[in-house]
Amino acid sequence: MRLATDRIARQRPAPDPRPLVVTGKRGNVERLAAVDAAATELGLKPGLALAEARARYPDLAVVAEHPADDRRLLGDIADWGQRYTPLLAVDPPDGLLLDIAGCAHLYGGEEKLLADLLAHMARFGFAARAAIASTIGAAFAAARFGTAGIVAPGEERVALGPLPLAALRLPEETVSALRRVGLKRVGDILDLPRAPLAARFGDDLLRQLDRALGTEREPLTPVLPVAAYMAEQPFAEPIAREDDVLRVIERLAARLKLMLERRGEGARVVELALFRTDGAVRRVVISTSRPLREPGDIRALYVERLASVADALDPGFGFDLARLSVIAAEPCPPEQVGFGERADDADLDRLIDRLSARLGARRVMRLMANDSHIPELAATSVPAQAGVALDAGWAAFRRFRATVALSPRPLRLLVKPEPIEAIATIPDGPPVRFRWRHAFHEVVAADGPERIEGAWWSEEAGPARDYFRVEDQAGHRFWLFRAGLYRAAVRPQWFLHGTFA
Amino acid sequence: MVVVHLPSSVGSRGVVRALKQTIRSVETGAGRGPPAAIPLGVAPIDDVLGGGLAHAALHEIAAARESEVAAASGFALALASRAGDARAVLWIAEDMGLIENGAPYGPGLDDLDLAPERLVTVATAKSRDVLWAMEEALRCRAVGAVVGEIRSTDRGIDLLASRRLSLAAGRSEACAFLLRTAPGTEASAAATRWVIAAAPSSAAGPGPPRLSVHLTRNRRGAVGSWLLEWNRVEQRFDLASSLSQPVADAAGDRPHRAAAAGA
Repeated sequence: MRLATDRIARQRPAPDPRPLVVTGKRGNVERLAAVDAAATELGLKPGLALAEARARYPDLAVVAEHPADDRRLLGDIADWGQRYTPLLAVDPPDGLLLDIAGCAHLYGGEEKLLADLLAHMARFGFAARAAIASTIGAAFAAARFGTAGIVAPGEERVALGPLPLAALRLPEETVSALRRVGLKRVGDILDLPRAPLAARFGDDLLRQLDRALGTEREPLTPVLPVAAYMAEQPFAEPIAREDDVLRVIERLAARLKLMLERRGEGARVVELALFRTDGAVRRVVISTSRPLREPGDIRALYVERLASVADALDPGFGFDLARLSVIAAEPCPPEQVGFGERADDADLDRLIDRLSARLGARRVMRLMANDSHIPELAATSVPAQAGVALDAGWAAFRRFRATVALSPRPLRLLVKPEPIEAIATIPDGPPVRFRWRHAFHEVVAADGPERIEGAWWSEEAGPARDYFRVEDQAGHRFWLFRAGLYRAAVRPQWFLHGTFA
Repeated sequence: MVVVHLPSSVGSRGVVRALKQTIRSVETGAGRGPPAAIPLGVAPIDDVLGGGLAHAALHEIAAARESEVAAASGFALALASRAGDARAVLWIAEDMGLIENGAPYGPGLDDLDLAPERLVTVATAKSRDVLWAMEEALRCRAVGAVVGEIRSTDRGIDLLASRRLSLAAGRSEACAFLLRTAPGTEASAAATRWVIAAAPSSAAGPGPPRLSVHLTRNRRGAVGSWLLEWNRVEQRFDLASSLSQPVADAAGDRPHRAAAAGA
């Protein structure tokens, strides 16, 4: 409720005794958007015009609202809240929904969990209200309009009865329409006949009521996808050293292995979440090229990964919770490693994983043949971890090459064809000399042209290219092309695309 | 299929011993152990190398100049393909190297008898990571050859680094190639050092790759210079007939010599 004012108060170097209000334009008037505890005591409420508030209390600290910052802060709090449960949703503008089914016992019961959460929030400098209930609707109502605390299962009707109808998460119009006919509290509509209510105020009213009471299920959409496998470890004493982190990873991976084995799966994407004592969360993701479940292998990948992000890990005063989750898993047949030829593929995959973890998956590539006649598209690089089948493509390429007697292709292709200055004696012939990267080359022999048309269906493909294989006086062999023809007034541009051995 | 025959009288310890022996014989006898040397198929070169390029060793291949990188790459990749023996070949280079000199191009590799599906390209942001990745790759027995491109503008590779790589190669089942964009002057632990330059084609028109190859260091024997031409049909290097060409590197970049020859 006081997210905006708490954010500003937290950022202040020194406490400011004046009441704090956050303002923003509503319609054409500067109004209060949020007020802190001191301002509330003075009777200031969100919605009040700033001019009026100033008239009543000239000594206010006024700050312009910044919804983007509030959203980011809420996102950060949500990140931190993941420590309680991975099933966490953001309820804008200032709420969080946590599905704690099956998690409360880890904290010694719901009361203790609630107390722990509120204590942490208070330590971070947030005025928070929290409620636990069997439904999202009831918890929402209790936290924002009720007495907070815990609403026991089956007590929803009692708890909700005295609360205003806005507690049902209804649109403003519905609430005011209900108020006009004298219905102000949830209790007022609990026992009314349903059909006339729905006819007059819409199905939405009944749906929200049913959701709050638990007669209709309401799904929670978590911020982050919930991992299929997860293991976590809280620490009484925060850890900070990389060695300790790695040891924890191995221990957690060993627990994941048991779960993975039971379902015959292996991990393809693993995420390590480290919860810092000050609330920040560090996430480090690794991916593998084949399903993995050996703790040693997972640890080895994190060794490389952490080596490349070590500074970014920034443990601060230490991590007090580590969680390892398998974000993507795949069936993984049990295999025998280290005997016979079959293991070679697995060996190579392990190497690729190690290199990818350290350098990044987009830096470890394999070459894939594509069905295209445009040279830079005919062979492209794909991340080696993607596990794309390559053999068929290259086999097709060799068959194609055998049938059409394709002229030789360069050994190294430049990332982008580089413009060169070239002089040709006959309009459609090869150049007699050209300049590339400040060096002149006299062409003593040339082979071509090989015309490669642009893709007619693509705007970007550009004009037809005439490729020439040329050799300069020193024996260097280049692959040049002229984009377009010598026609009309426009002079075509020459490019150098690759070099031959 | 391995069948283990066990006399009925052997106890359980005997069974284990027999199995161990069988496994050992399978592991060593299946021809997995690579040959000690990889012949290039060019008799004079194989002779000075003592049968061929040493396996499980570090070889340094340098371009004679920055402009000869393509030629040196061709030589390195052709050797890597031979050394790799159908296993994976890793090409490790810095980002800048790939931008400056181009990335290995699949169809072109195919021309040099290196099946593109065998190649894994690794790009690194820092030159130090090239050496790290090479060492890492040499530990993997699915890798047949590792080519690391070191640019001349980098701080270079000192004796310590090359000795480290050389040791890693020695323990591996692969060949390591350091591809340098300019010949190095510092001491090196490499088994052989080569300096490569392109050579003009013999016939009219650009022919197959033709290289002037200098072996400047050879642990096993003499050094020498040769003119090699890639044989597309046999997929190997041939010794280019020295009669059709005056001198291997009477290159155009030495104008006084060209002028002298013309005069």
